[in-house]
Amino acid sequence: MLLREVEYARPASVQEALRLLGSHEGARALAGGQTLINVMKARAASPDVLVDLADIGELRGIELASDGTVTIGAMTTYTDIVDSAEARARPILGEVCKQIADVQVRNRGTVGGNVCSNDPTNHLPPLLVAVGATMTILGQGGERSVPASEFFLGVYMTAAGPGELLTKISVPPGKGDGFASVPIGRDGTCIVNVAASLDSGAPTLAIGCVDAVPVVLTPDSAAEETVRAAVRGANLDPPSDVHASADYRRHLAEVLALRAVAQAAGRT
Amino acid sequence: MTETTVTPERPLVVEEGESKAGFIGQNIPRKEDKRLVQGEGVFFDDVKRHEMGFVHFVRSPYAHARIKSVDVSKALELDGVYGTLTGDEVAILTDPFFELSTPPGANIKDYALAAGRVRHVGDPVAAVVARTRELARDATELVEVDYEPLPHVLDGEESLKDEVVLHEEAGSNTVWSGVFDWGDFDAAVEDADHVVRIERLHFDRFSSTPLECSGCLVEFNRGTGQWTIHGTHQMPGVGAIWMAPALRVGIDKLRFISQDIGGGFGNKITLHPQYTACCLLARKLNRPVQWTEWRTDQHTANTHGNERTFLDVTVPVKADGTMLGFSVRAIDDCGAFPRYEPLGCIIWAQVTPGCYRWRNVRVDFTQVCTNKSPVAPNRGYSRMQHLWLTERIVDIVAGELGLDPIEVRKKNYVKHEEFPYETPNGCVYDSGDYARCLDIALELIGYDSLEEKRQDAESRGKVFGIGIGSTLDSGTNNFGQSMILNPELQFSGNNEVATAKLDIFGEVVVTLGTVPQGQGHETTTAQVVADILGCTPDEINVRAGHDTYWNSNAGLSGTYASQFAVTGLGAVKGAADKLADEMKQLAAAVFGCGPDDIELVASQARIKGNPEAALPFMALGAILNANNAGLPPELDVTLNVRYVFRPQFEKPDLERKFGNLTLTYATQIHACAVEIDPETGVYEIVDYAAVDDCGNRIHPQIVEGQVHGATAQALGAATHEIFTYDEEGNLLTPNFYDYHVPHALDMPPMKTGYIESTSPFTPLGAKGMGEGGGAGIHAVCAALQNALGKKGEGPIVWRSCNPYEGVWDLLQKPEETRKLVSVETR
Amino acid sequence: MEAVSSRTITVEVNGVQYEREVEARRLLIHFIRDDLNLTGSHIGCDTGNCGACSVLIDGVLVKSCMMLAVQADGAKIETVEGLASDGELNGLQQAFSDHHALQCGYCTPGMLMSATALLRENASPSEEEIRKGIQGNICRCTGYVNIVEAIKAAAQ
Repeated sequence: MLLREVEYARPASVQEALRLLGSHEGARALAGGQTLINVMKARAASPDVLVDLADIGELRGIELASDGTVTIGAMTTYTDIVDSAEARARPILGEVCKQIADVQVRNRGTVGGNVCSNDPTNHLPPLLVAVGATMTILGQGGERSVPASEFFLGVYMTAAGPGELLTKISVPPGKGDGFASVPIGRDGTCIVNVAASLDSGAPTLAIGCVDAVPVVLTPDSAAEETVRAAVRGANLDPPSDVHASADYRRHLAEVLALRAVAQAAGRT
Repeated sequence: MTETTVTPERPLVVEEGESKAGFIGQNIPRKEDKRLVQGEGVFFDDVKRHEMGFVHFVRSPYAHARIKSVDVSKALELDGVYGTLTGDEVAILTDPFFELSTPPGANIKDYALAAGRVRHVGDPVAAVVARTRELARDATELVEVDYEPLPHVLDGEESLKDEVVLHEEAGSNTVWSGVFDWGDFDAAVEDADHVVRIERLHFDRFSSTPLECSGCLVEFNRGTGQWTIHGTHQMPGVGAIWMAPALRVGIDKLRFISQDIGGGFGNKITLHPQYTACCLLARKLNRPVQWTEWRTDQHTANTHGNERTFLDVTVPVKADGTMLGFSVRAIDDCGAFPRYEPLGCIIWAQVTPGCYRWRNVRVDFTQVCTNKSPVAPNRGYSRMQHLWLTERIVDIVAGELGLDPIEVRKKNYVKHEEFPYETPNGCVYDSGDYARCLDIALELIGYDSLEEKRQDAESRGKVFGIGIGSTLDSGTNNFGQSMILNPELQFSGNNEVATAKLDIFGEVVVTLGTVPQGQGHETTTAQVVADILGCTPDEINVRAGHDTYWNSNAGLSGTYASQFAVTGLGAVKGAADKLADEMKQLAAAVFGCGPDDIELVASQARIKGNPEAALPFMALGAILNANNAGLPPELDVTLNVRYVFRPQFEKPDLERKFGNLTLTYATQIHACAVEIDPETGVYEIVDYAAVDDCGNRIHPQIVEGQVHGATAQALGAATHEIFTYDEEGNLLTPNFYDYHVPHALDMPPMKTGYIESTSPFTPLGAKGMGEGGGAGIHAVCAALQNALGKKGEGPIVWRSCNPYEGVWDLLQKPEETRKLVSVETR
Repeated sequence: MEAVSSRTITVEVNGVQYEREVEARRLLIHFIRDDLNLTGSHIGCDTGNCGACSVLIDGVLVKSCMMLAVQADGAKIETVEGLASDGELNGLQQAFSDHHALQCGYCTPGMLMSATALLRENASPSEEEIRKGIQGNICRCTGYVNIVEAIKAAAQ
C-alpha cells in the first residue's frame, strides 16, 4: 500500500520526457497510473524515477483524418475515447473502453498505459491487433511505426523499449468488429477476451488472456467450423490461476472467438 | 426486566403502511447519518495523536516455518524508526492468550507475535514503529528473519491425520471433537422408506471483508498504567478478557473507545493479538502507536469464516417426503489459531434441524487447525454453514425422489402453530411462519409464471432454474453453550448494559454497551427511549459509539450474534423504564401526589387529567441536581440509571448437550432465479426475492437495509468470493482485485417482503436479525441445482461457492458429482 | 528540470488553498487524510478497487489512492467535506439519509463523490447508468439497493 522512495518529474514536452527517461536507468513513464501506482503499492516493481506525462499536450487528443483514420494520442483516457465523436469512426473502440473497470479508472487510465503495460488480461492489446492499429514510437533515434501485431512482445513488454515513448495509435476506419469476453463480474478483469474484425474480408482474431501476448489468428472465413478449427489449431496453452484453469480458458477462447466473429459479421 | 408475552398483543402479520402509535416501528431519520454523509464520522484511522508512531508488521511468507532468528538491527538504524517488537519479547512480557477449548486445543500457545514458529502466510512475526507510514513499511523490509520452512497442511481432512502438527504443545491439530446425538437416528433409518446418502458437501472459505480494515491507535498512560485503545473491536469486553491476563494487568487497565466503525460482520472480534502487540509498543516506546491494517493483511490474516466439510450425510425419508432427521460427519477448518473457536463447534446447534421438524439428528463434529488464516465469527457464524447443509439436504432429497422442493419444504417446515417449538436439542424457536414467508417469496419472484420464464430463457439458449433458501438467524446467545464444549469454562447466559440520565438542563443522555458498525443503534435506541419518556427521538442524545469509561458495558458487551434488538434495546428499555419511573417519583414528590398519577407526555411529567400541572424535563433535572432542598428523605432517585439486561437462560445439560442456546430466531426465506449459459457456465441471477420475519421491527428501513446487505454478501459468497490457497499456502485472493465482491452492476433486481411474528421472549417482541443466515448462498445453490439436475440425474451442487468454471464442470462432468449421491429404497 | 524525491505542492481543496511539502511517493489519499487532516475520504483496499477514496480533481472523478499527491499539484480538489454548506446537507446527502443509503458510512464519502460526478454529467440517469456510475465504489453493508434509490431521488 505504501510506495518505496521515488523521484518524480513532470516534463512539459516529449523531448524533455525522453531525456529524463534516457538519463535514469530505473525511470518509468507515468501515464494514468491505474496500473503503475498499483504495482508500486504492492512493491512488485519500484522505479527510481517517475516521468509524469500529464503536461504533454501533444500526447493527447483524438484526430479523425479525411480517410477515416482515427489517431489517438497515447495519453488519451478511456473516457476520452468513450466521449469522442472522432473515435466513433471505429465504434468498437468506445464500446470496449466503456467496459473497462469503472468511471474512476476510465477517467485516468490511458490507451498508452493499457497498451504499454500489456497485462495479458487487458482489453486493448487484442482489440488493437484485431483492428489493425499502428503504434508510433518515439525514441532518441527518432520516430517509427510498428503494427499492433508486432508491438506486443511479452508479458509487460512491448516494442516501446526503455527510454522510448509510445506517442500515438492510429486505427483505420471500420465497423465490422466484435469483442467478446467473460469477465469476473460486470466490467471486471477478463478471464478470456477475444477481439475480431472482418473489415479486411477474412477475419482477424486476437485472443487475450491466454498467452503473454494476444494470439492472432486469421482463419480463411468467418464460417463457424473454420473459426473453430483455427482456434483449436492454435494449440493454446493458457495459464491456470485462481480464476480459471487452462482447460476452461481454452474452452472459453473457442466459444468467445465464435461470438466475436458473429458479432463482427453482424455489423459488416 | 424481561416481559414475557405469550400471546402477542399485536397481530402477527403486519401489512405495509399500517401506522402504529409511538416511534417504534417508524422509519425515523437516522441520527448517525448527518455526520457520516459529511465525512465527519470518526473512524479509528481518523484519530491523530501528536508524535504518534505508525506500526507495520513483519509477516511470515511461509505457511509453516520455524523462526530461527529475528534481527531488527538494520531496521532500527533507519532514520525515523522509533522501535520494534519481536516474538521473543512478547513471550517474555506476556502470557499466552486464554484458550477456550479442552485439551489438546487448550494447550495451544497463542501470542501477540509468532514466538518460535509461524503458522500461516501473513502471521505477524515482528513489528516496527516509525515516524511515517511509509517509513514503517520500509523498515519492515530491513528486518531479517531466518526461517526454516516446515511441511504444511492446507486441508481439513488431511489435517486430521496429524502428520503435520501446527501446535507442538497441543500435539494434535484437533481443536475440539465430539458427537451430538439427539432423538433416535438409527430407529429413524429403520423407519424410513428411502435413505438418501450424500457422500460429501463443502462449505467454502470466504469472509464478509468489511470495507474498513482493522486497526487501532493505542496510548499508554505511564502514571496510571492505563491503555486507551481507539479501535474497531466488536466485543471489547471479551477482548479485555483475552488481553488483560496476557498483559498481566487488571481489566480496568484497558479502555476501548470507538465511535464509527466501517463494518465488522464478526471480522473484528479476534483483534487481541495485534492490539496486544500495539499495547506493548505504546508502553515500550512511550508514545502513541497507530496500526492500520491494509486489505491484503485483512484477507491474509484477519480473518476468514469457518470452512466446513460435511461427509457421509445420511437422510431417512418417508415416501411422502417427510424427512426424519439426518446424520453427518462435519470437519471444521478454523485456520492456524482457534481464538474464538471452538465455539463454532456448538453454535450451529442453535439451529440443529434448520427450519424443519426433524427429530433425529446425529452430528460427529471435529474442528482442526490448518496453515491458513485464522477464522473469526464471520456473519452467520457457524449457523450459516449448518443451515446450508440442511437446505442442500432438502433440495438433494427432493431432487433424487422427484419431489417438488417447495412442497417438501412446506411438509417439513416447523408449522406456524407449533411455535414456540423445542428442537431435538432443547433450543426453543420462539415464533415464525415459514410457510407463509415462502409463499410471499414465491409471489414476489413470480413463481406462477415460472414456466414462461423458463421457456423465454430457453429461447435465448439459456438454462433456467429457480431455488429457495430458507434460513434462520438465531440471536442472543446463551454463552452456557460453551460449557458443552468445555465444562471448565465459566461463561453462561448473556448481558448488555445501557445507561440513561436526565441532565441538569433536562437533556436525556443515553450510553450503550454495544459497538455499532452501521446498524443504527443510536437511532433505534432513541425510538425506544422516546416512546417510554414521552418525548421525541430528537430529544434523546445517544452517545455515539463505545467507551469503556462510560461504564455502560459488561463482560459480553458488543455488537455480534444478531442481538441488539434484544439485548441492547432490552438494556435501553430497562434503563429508560427505570428513568421514567424515577422521573415520575420526583414529579410526584414535587406535586404531592402518587407516582401513578403522573404521566410522561410531550417532554413533560404531568398529573394525569390535569395537563396544567406539568414539569418539563429541564425542571426535573434542575430540581434534583441543583435545587433539591426540601425533597422527602425517602425519595430514592438519581435520574442517572444503569441497567443490565439479562435474558432468561439456564445452564445447558452438559451430558445430553441439551438446552436453550439462543433466545430468538429470525427467519429469512429467499427465492432466486438463475439463467446459465450452457456454453460457458457463466450464469446470471435474473430475479431475486427475500422475505424476512424478525418479529416486531423497531425501524423497518434499517431491517430492510440489513436484508439487502446480507443478501449481497451471500450472493458474493455464492458466486465469486472464495479464499483459495496455492500449494505453498499462499492466499490467491488477497485483495479486492482477485477476490471479487459484488459491485453495483453485479446485483440482481431484489424484492423484499416482511411479516412480523412477535417474539414472546423479548422486551420489545423484536428479534435480532443483522447476520441473516446466508440465505442467498442456499438459494443460489438450489437454483443452480434446479437448472442443472433432474430427478435422479444430472450433477449435484456440492459446494457453497459456484464460480463460472465450477458450473462449467458440473455441466461437463455430471457423473463426477452424481456419484456423491445414492438412494436406498426400502 | 530534474526529478526530485519531494516537492512543495499547492492544491485547492473545497475552495481552500493549501501549500505543503510532500514526498513524491506519498499517495494523494494519504496527503488528503494525514497532511491536510481531511479524514472524510477513506481507504478500503490496497489495489484501487474499492473507490472509498474517490474525489473530484478538476471536476473529474478519480480514486485518490491511485494518484500521487505530487500529481495533484495545481489542481482543484473536491472531497465530501465540500458538499454541505455550513452544515446544511445538499440534496444528494439528504437523499442518502432519506433512503437509508448508508449503514456504516465508510463507503459513503466516495459514493457521494461518484454520485456527484454522475449527476453533473447526467441529470436523469437510468438505473443502469446509476449502477455504472457507482460501479467503482464497493459497499459491503447496503447491497447498493438504497444507494441507487437515493441517487434516483436526488436526480429528480
